[in-house]
Formats: sequence, structure tokens, C-alpha cells
Amino acid sequence: MKRLPQGLLAVALLALASFAQAFDLNDLRATLSAPVAVRGPFIQEKHLRALPQPLTSTGHFVLAKDHGLLWLLQRPLQQDYRINAKGIARRDANGWQVLPNSSASSEQNRLFFAVLQGDSSALERDFELKLQGTADAWTLQLTPRSMLLKQIFNHIDIAGGAYVQRIELSETQGDSTVLRMPESSASATLSDTERADFAE
Amino acid sequence: MPSDRLLPRLFLIVLVAVLALAGWQWRHGAPLSANLMELVPGATQDALLQRAEQRMQAPLNREMLVLVGNADRQKAVELAAHIGQGWQASGLFEKVQWSLQADLPALREQLLAGRLAMLAPADRKQLIEQPDAFIQQRVQSLFDPFTGFSLVPSQNDWLGLTGRIQSAQPQHGLVNLDLASGALVAQADGLNWVLLRARTHSDAFDMQLPQQVAGLLAAARRNASQADSRLLAASGLLYAANGQQEASREITWVGGGATVGILLLLWLSFRRWRVLLAFVPVLVGMLFGAVACVAVFGKMHVMTLVLGSSLIGVAVDYPLHYLSKSWTLRPWQSWPALRLTLPGLSLSLGTSVIGYLALAFTPFPALTQIACFSAAGLLGAYLCAVCLLPALLKGTQLTPAQWPLRLAQGLWDLRLRLLARVPGPLLLVLLLAFCAAGLWQLQVRNDLRQWVGTPPALLQEAQAIARITGYQPTSQFFLVRGDNTEQLLAREQALTTRLQALVGEHRLQGYLALSQLVAAPAAQEQARMALQQLAAHWQPLIDLGVPAAALQQELQSLQQLPVLSVDQVLAGPLGEPWRPLWLGAQDNGVASMVSLQGLGDAAVLRQVAQRLPGIQLVDRLGDLNRVFAKTQVSAAELKLLSCCLIVLLLVLPFGLGGALRMIALPLLAALCSLASLGWLGQPLTLFSLFGLLLVTAIGVDYAILMHERIGGAAVSLLGTLLAATTTWLSFGLLAVSSTPAVSNFGLAVSLGLGFSFLLAPWAGERKA
Repeated sequence: MKRLPQGLLAVALLALASFAQAFDLNDLRATLSAPVAVRGPFIQEKHLRALPQPLTSTGHFVLAKDHGLLWLLQRPLQQDYRINAKGIARRDANGWQVLPNSSASSEQNRLFFAVLQGDSSALERDFELKLQGTADAWTLQLTPRSMLLKQIFNHIDIAGGAYVQRIELSETQGDSTVLRMPESSASATLSDTERADFAE
Repeated sequence: MPSDRLLPRLFLIVLVAVLALAGWQWRHGAPLSANLMELVPGATQDALLQRAEQRMQAPLNREMLVLVGNADRQKAVELAAHIGQGWQASGLFEKVQWSLQADLPALREQLLAGRLAMLAPADRKQLIEQPDAFIQQRVQSLFDPFTGFSLVPSQNDWLGLTGRIQSAQPQHGLVNLDLASGALVAQADGLNWVLLRARTHSDAFDMQLPQQVAGLLAAARRNASQADSRLLAASGLLYAANGQQEASREITWVGGGATVGILLLLWLSFRRWRVLLAFVPVLVGMLFGAVACVAVFGKMHVMTLVLGSSLIGVAVDYPLHYLSKSWTLRPWQSWPALRLTLPGLSLSLGTSVIGYLALAFTPFPALTQIACFSAAGLLGAYLCAVCLLPALLKGTQLTPAQWPLRLAQGLWDLRLRLLARVPGPLLLVLLLAFCAAGLWQLQVRNDLRQWVGTPPALLQEAQAIARITGYQPTSQFFLVRGDNTEQLLAREQALTTRLQALVGEHRLQGYLALSQLVAAPAAQEQARMALQQLAAHWQPLIDLGVPAAALQQELQSLQQLPVLSVDQVLAGPLGEPWRPLWLGAQDNGVASMVSLQGLGDAAVLRQVAQRLPGIQLVDRLGDLNRVFAKTQVSAAELKLLSCCLIVLLLVLPFGLGGALRMIALPLLAALCSLASLGWLGQPLTLFSLFGLLLVTAIGVDYAILMHERIGGAAVSLLGTLLAATTTWLSFGLLAVSSTPAVSNFGLAVSLGLGFSFLLAPWAGERKA
């Protein structure tokens, strides 16, 4: 209880797997959850009020239906993350290390998997959803409902077409995080390494 | 005769005075208590330890933990909120909590102010010994999209100290926060369980509260079943409510059963409505007992009432003594009959009171109360039977039914026929063989659990809650003392290092200690010193673009942070779970507690505390069980002592030989009932032993009656039979009590009375 929601970014990212296509949340979900795997580069910018320029990091991600998410940070430092049913894991010299399950992170995993399974009701309980645009260019705004989340986020904005392209988290304290995934592509299979990473 | 008029009047004056005293005692309602802990020996005279125990017990007696379960999380949350709001409106509770609305600004403020004081030992160690790794981890966390969500914005804490403090907080149980509602939710058995916590204004030993809480809970259960949900609840309050219900039911059964039985017996034997007035001494006895008990102890425990209701059967023996003379004394008149039996009555009072008062010298407040209640009650009944009842029965012509006398005569003849065939010494040998074989099978068992009848349904729910939430509080805890905070926290850490090892071996689920929350003053200074050196290592942060000036400024603000005291840290919102553990300044230093979760083996804890100075394991249950074992010895000594006193009392009228014979019979009866317990497979508990203590005293009465033989053997036997039947009625009913302690007591006494009756005729042998 002491720890607050972590990795909401990931939730937001994955939330999108379930929403796509034009004005209907169901269509959006159908589109985003269609591919077996989506992968591509990401650029993460942390805009901190006190810093003149954002903390920028880059890497690759793999979002696999039924498996979870691999988040491979490459610059400025190398660090692999994985989110799946077991929780959040970080890779060190000895392989994947599942991080101690805090209340908030397991709550977030619950959300995450609700989303992966196309259970939009789970997301709608925590956020108000506002979808605009067309199937090729849509935006989805998540506004927190609960007092607790409202004290942390103003809103989460997600934009994309066939895939999610941009996620922005605006924190109440004035900081924000922008995630861009400009060149994602879908495929019907996972590579052997990816499969191994999820399986381990 | 003037005394025939004077005595009733004097007694009435006394009675009115006692009634007035009773009225005054009850002016604020019934001075009753249901606190189990008042019944067991106070383990300690140590004021600090007493305070610590009270502090640890308070939540058990005031808090209720409820789980509302439904497959649909939303429905469970809604139902929990509905129930919670209803309870809050009831006014019974100080606090009802079903959702957590964290005060984030207050949390942030505490984290920033506590950056030195609340830093966990492992993090402080890294800061001091591996400053490069410390900075590297901070860099990593700044980029980490998954774990880097800190309450305090980065620009206020570039070094990431608050994030470390947050993640080092111990996780409690298996309960998670539902972000949408703020509810605490656990998942088990395919259901979502929402946690609801309620704390009452007063504790479980308030006589009305447990019933009211149980009522609210019953309504909530109906609500839940209508909403297709499940509801589990655990609280000391529920045990108290159940105990009270049981107690009042048992008082009704034991008291009511004995009353009806005795009245019926009186009517069937004497066939006069007026004879039912013989029950007046019983009522007066109960009144005297209650008044004396409240006067001495301030209040009366419900268990005293349950056990005390057995007094009915003993108290009615006094009037029976002279009523039974009506079979031979023709015409029977109340005053002459009394005068004839007065010496026997007085002796009987003396021996019974000695028997009961022996109970008062055991270290159990429960028995002290019962002794006080019974001794005063018997005195009241005796005075009433001697002073008032003859006046009430004056002029009554008694022509008792002949069937009891025929029965007694038949029994007596049967005995004579038996003795004619089997010689007495052989009977004795057979009896002793029976005793030896029974004693061989006797098992001793003593446990505090005998004091409470634990209903399995409540127990199962409490276990289910422990399983689902992972909250498994134990009654054992450690008391830690130190000359100052510095020493105290160092001692705690020595202890928690050992406890952590137990957690690693899965022999303990967890613990809570102040040293997890707050660092000792010297450690806070060490962290400050280490920070001064950090500028040499923070280049990686500057490379990311963090302005050097900002880092310098942060360092300065850290240097200026004051050393925080335990009180200061506990005052913040993060301190809440630890607050009960801090006992604060004492006469010679400071003290705190370390609480435990999910304990497997208490013996392991004893080892843990060994050779650690200033650390004491407090295990009240274990201590009590040891007290039980020790008391068994002292109970035996008391029995011996009370026998000696009774012999002294009897030497005067009967001579040494007679006195010894009369005490030998009830002792033999006690031995026989011990053996019977063995044959029946019933354990010998402290309570059965106390019961036998009483048997000696009551059994002596029967021996006296049979020894005196006023009106012939059959009439004496009839008197004994009547007395034994009434007494047996009330104690026998105790044996069906749901509280093991009470039923053990009842069983032992009933058995002992049976044997006392069977053996009593031998009291008169020689004289005849």
C-alpha cells in the first residue's frame, strides 16, 4: 500500500492493444489485439520541470499477444525489462529477476492483463476513456477516476493508427513522460530468442 | 421462646441491609465482566510489561476484520462500502475503514524530511561503502519506466533517497490496493475479497458491545447472502459475544434446571406447598454471594455466575437437613427440628466453607471469586435457614411421602445384604484396585484453551481470513529495552537479524520493528557524513543533464536535516503501523516491542531471544500454561491443608478417630472419582482437581449426617440421599457446559459426590 502505482506507462501502452479503429472502443481493441506480435524502436523522454532538456532513452520493444511485453533499453544504458503474468522482471547477469511484488505493481499487472485479454471494463473502472479521430489517426485520453490516481496523473494521452505511436503521461507535479514508437511493425510469429525470453 | 421471634427479625434487618447494598452496587447497571484475562493469574508485576501486553491485546479486543467476497470485484467493493457506511452510522465504531485515501502531500513531506532518518540499513550501507554503485542505481531508476514511480518528484530528490525509502517499506500480507476505489483487495478461491476494518469505541469486555457488534454483523451477513456474496469476520469481540451468549444460556440451564429439579423433589417428598419456602435460603445465598463478590472484587465475572449457580444445590441442603427429620420426628415442628440438627448444620457450614476458601488460595482470580461467592453464599443460606426459615414454616404439619423412606430403607438393606456376602476389607481392596487401574490411565492436560469454548465456525472464519489476507498476528512478541534510543534500536537490529533468518527459513512469516522505520541517531549522522563525500561520485548524474548546482543545493538541504527522534517519525503517515510498538521513555531508558506474524513454533522464539541483552520474549499463553502445571502441585497442598483444618474442626465433637474416619471417606471418594476420570478417558485438568478439592468438603457433610444417625440409619441415609441429589443436580448440569473448564469441574464434582454418597454409610459403622 505504501508504494504507488508503478509502470503505469506500461499499462497505458498495453491498454492500447485493446483499442483501435475509428470511434468505437471495440473496434480499436480488435485492431490493436489482432497481431500476434508488434515490435519496433521506442524513444522515451522524461520531461522534468527542473531540467532544461528531457532525459532521453531509446531501445526496442516487443509486445506479444498472450505473452507480455519485452522492453529492451539500449541507450544511454542497457537494461532489459519484461512484464508478464509473473510480474515485472529485470535481467541481470543471472537471468531474469522478478522484482518483489508490491501491492501497486501487482494491481498494475492485473490491469495490464485485463487489457491484454480485451477486458476494457477493467480499464474503464480506473479511467474515463475518450476516443477521437479515425482508424488511421486516433487519440485516446485516459482521465483517472479515483482520488488516488488523480493525485498522481492529470491524464494519459495515447495516439496512433494501426499501432500505438505516442503515449504521454502528464503528472500533477508538472513532470511528464513521452513515449514514441514511430516505426512499429506486426508479425505473426515470435523469434526464438523472444520466445525464450518470455518462457524463462 | 424469645429467640424464635428475635432471630427472624434480626435476620430480616441484615437482609434489608444486604439488599440495599446490592441496590447500590447495581446502580450503574450490572457489575459484570466477561474479560477472560481477569480470570487468569496476572503473569507479571512489571508495569512496563503490563502496558506492553495491554497495547498488544487492544486491537484483538476492539478491532474486527471483515472480508467481503464476490467474483466481481466491483460488486465486492460496493457491498463493503455499503456495509462500512452503515457501521459508521451505527455509532459503535471509532473508525470504519474500507478504502484507503492516502494523503499524498503529507506522505511526500514525511519522505523528504526523513531522507536520513528513514533510510533502510541496506541502502545506508551502500551509500557509505559503495557510493559509485549508489549513484549508478539512481541513474538506472531515472530511466526505468516500470519501477521508477516515486512519490517525490525527481527535482526534489535527485539522489533518489525517498524512492529507496518507499521501496524498503515492508509489504504487509497478501492484500493489494485497488487503484480505482482505494479498497484493499485480496484474491483467493476465485473471489475478490475486499477488506473492511472496524475499531470499536470500547473493548470486548463492555457487556453490551459484543452483542451489538454481533447483531450488526448478522445483518451484514444477510445483506451479503442476498447479494450473492460471502462474508468472513474475525474479532475478539465475536468470541466475547459468543461467550456471553453461552454463559447466559448455561446460567439459565444450570440454574433453571437445578431449581426446577429441587422444587420438584421438595414437593414430591413433603407434599406441602409451603415446603417450597425451603428455596428461600438458596435465593438469599445467591444474593449474599453476589454482593460479597462485587464488594471484594468490584465486579463479578460471568464464569463465576455459571459456576456459582451450582451453589443452589449445596445451599438447599441446610433446610433439607431438618426437613428430612419429619420422617421420624412426629409431630415435626420447625424450631425443635432445627435445634436438633443445629450442631450438624453448623459443622457442615464449617467444612463447606473451608473447602471453598481453599480455592481462594490458588493463584487463579477465577477461583478466588468463586470461593468468595460460594463462602458468602453458603453463610447467607445457612443464616437464612437457621434464623428465618423455621419462622416461615412454623405451624406447618409435615407428613412426608413414604416412598423416599422406603427407597432409603431398601438401599440400606441392599447394602447390608452385600456386606453379609462380601466382607468389608475385600470391598476395600476391590475399590483400591479400581482406583489404581483408573489412576494408571489418567492423563493430565492443561491449556488456556480450556477456559474458552471456541465455536468451530468462528475459528474457521478466522483461519480463512488469515489465509486470504496473510495477516497472522501472534500473541507472542518481544519487549526490547535500552538505556537510550541508540541502544534500543541497536538491540532491535540484533534481534531482527535473527528473525530475518527465520523468515528466510519459512519458520516465521514476518515481523514489525521500529528499526525498520527509523535509524538510530548515530546512523543518521553516518548517512549525513557519507553524503558529504558523494560529490566525488555523482558525475554520471551530471552527464545526464542534472545541473551540478541542483545537486549541490540538495546536498546542502540534506546536511541541514535535523536528526529525527522516534516520536517525530512515528507522527507522520508512514509511521502508523509502527505506532503501537513504541513504549517511549521509561524510568530507566526507553522501550519498544517487536510484533510477529505467522509463527510456527514458540520454542524457536525462546532461542532467538537467548543471549540478546535487553530483549525479552513475552509469551503470555505459554507462561499461563506453565502456571497451570505449577498450580497443580499447590492445589494438592491446599487439599491436604483443608483436610487438616476439617479434621481439627471435627476432632472436638467426634474425637480424633471419628474425625479421621470422616475425612478418609471423602478423600477415598475423591480418589475414586480421579480413577473414574481415568476409566472414562477424561483428562485431569486443574479444574477437575479444584472440583475434587470441593468434593472433600461436601463429602464430609454426608459422613457427618451418617455418623450422627439421628432418627436411624435409613432416615440418615435418606437425608444424605436428598442432599446428594440436590447437589448432584446442580453440579451435574455444569458438566454439560460448552466451556471445557466448567464441564471438567462439573464432571469431577458429580463423580466425587456419587462416591461420597456411596461411601458415607461407613462413617457410622463403629458407633453403631
